[in-house]
Amino acid sequence: MASSRDDFIIAIRSAFLKKSTQQKFSLLTLVSISIFVIVLSSLDFKVIRYLKIGINEVVYRSSFIVSIPENFVKNTYFNVAEYSTFFRQYKNNKKELEQLKSKDISNEIIQYENKELKDLINDYVSSSDKVLAKIIVDHESPFLKSVIINKGSNNKIKIGTNIYDQSYLVGRVVEVNYRTSRVLLLSDLNSNVPVTIAPQNIQAIMIGAGENFGEIKYIKDGIFEKFDENSIVYTSGTGAIFKSGIPIGKLIQRDKDLDVEFFSDFSQLKYVFAEVETELTAQNNIEKVEDNKDQNNNPIDTKIKILEDEKKIIEESNSKFKEENDYLKIQINKLNDEIYSYKNEITSQKEKIDQFFIDQEELEFLRLNLLYSQKCQTRKLFSTGLKVGTPEYKRCILNRGKMND
Amino acid sequence: MTRLTRKTSLLKIYTWFPIILLFISVLNEFDFNYLNLKYFSFNFPFILIFFFTLKEFKNFDYFLVFIAGLFNDTVVGLPLGISSLSYTLICIATAYIRNITIRPNPLKDWFYFLFIISLINSLNYSILTLFFDFNLDLTSYLINTFFTFSFYIIFVSIFKYYLKGLND
Repeated sequence: MASSRDDFIIAIRSAFLKKSTQQKFSLLTLVSISIFVIVLSSLDFKVIRYLKIGINEVVYRSSFIVSIPENFVKNTYFNVAEYSTFFRQYKNNKKELEQLKSKDISNEIIQYENKELKDLINDYVSSSDKVLAKIIVDHESPFLKSVIINKGSNNKIKIGTNIYDQSYLVGRVVEVNYRTSRVLLLSDLNSNVPVTIAPQNIQAIMIGAGENFGEIKYIKDGIFEKFDENSIVYTSGTGAIFKSGIPIGKLIQRDKDLDVEFFSDFSQLKYVFAEVETELTAQNNIEKVEDNKDQNNNPIDTKIKILEDEKKIIEESNSKFKEENDYLKIQINKLNDEIYSYKNEITSQKEKIDQFFIDQEELEFLRLNLLYSQKCQTRKLFSTGLKVGTPEYKRCILNRGKMND
Repeated sequence: MTRLTRKTSLLKIYTWFPIILLFISVLNEFDFNYLNLKYFSFNFPFILIFFFTLKEFKNFDYFLVFIAGLFNDTVVGLPLGISSLSYTLICIATAYIRNITIRPNPLKDWFYFLFIISLINSLNYSILTLFFDFNLDLTSYLINTFFTFSFYIIFVSIFKYYLKGLND
């Protein structure tokens, strides 16, 4: 018993401490360094942070270069798949584009209104610039859903910067280096987003499911039935991590769960937009107004200026409405033309059908005439034969040679 | 002379191939995730490290394995040191099994590999959830362990060809 324990201890000690000629470090040293590094990385020291940023920069670039062949194969496969469905997609996109164009105009008007209202309630107005970023590393890990983008602190990216695919939210920055950043996708298990479900206007939290969808959590009991397939999920802005009103996805009901199907396909991301924000608080606005006051020294002028601004906004809204109206008028005319052409087509087709029935009747008469003409023309004991061409003769032929019905 | 030099450098690359493959796999996450098969994933570095440290391959430096771990953490986005610890623990396990084994048996190695990766994945999961407050899917870990275990035997047969080629 004691001897087997000794053997075990010797084997373990040898495994930990013995270095073969090729090895520079013993495994015990490396385990100790690993634990030391884990502890240091959890403590978040400034030196460690900079060291980590340095390693990240080198590793991300190396990873990008090493991934080039695999990405090439992957992209080729996707391109081939895309080309095979190209025409169908083109048709669908065209239809969708027309719908979106009309929606876009009304959205712009809403944005104007929103900005105005935010000014009124002394909220902040953010002026934002969207920076285009390329995804350099995306390994679609089953454990952590994140991507690396080629923009970092030198492009004013900060931790928490919102990341978009077109106008849809895809995630936020969780780690910033000088030229690169890590983006935590909405599908990650660690991602929690305060959302609003429209049009029901219900507040909830969306949590990543670790797959390509999100899960709705923390909603009131008994409102499950309120939702339908048209419900849309967008950010509520609560907590100020995400801006409000950014579309995320569509709501899907699965048994007793509420899931979110993202508008954006995270596996196909190549380029994204990072929103670099500068906040202009209400206080700043007030200061600005006060500065203007000092310059003008006349409250009436300021009022006139505000009224002028309002007028300008109203005029802009009106012009947008006019544009929309014109567009709708054109659409109505187009539709009327289409209806007219369809009607014409229907009439001509009806005529053709009628003619077809007449022709068929004629044909039947001629066929029967060949068979029964003799019978209808034959003189009998008390009756004379019918004259060809008369309605009686025709009736007789159609009755298959019988004179009387 | 030039031909001889080229042949020598090619042989050098060939002898360093496992460690090069390890670095490529950690930088590239060679695991076919883009196939989008639900839950499908496997840990190729685990297989590579286990096999070559078990065979005590001369160019498979523990320090380079440690560095590969750091690279993996950076690429995946895990706290630094987690993968290094996992890889070093595999090296310890293989060193131990080498010390206690007189007659190597591939089947025993295979099941020993299952035991080791289960232990290391459990340790990883515990550290990440307890100390770093990560939310992780345990099912993904279990399935990853299963596929890594299943693929071990396939990759081992390929690596054996490599070793055979090197000896020839």
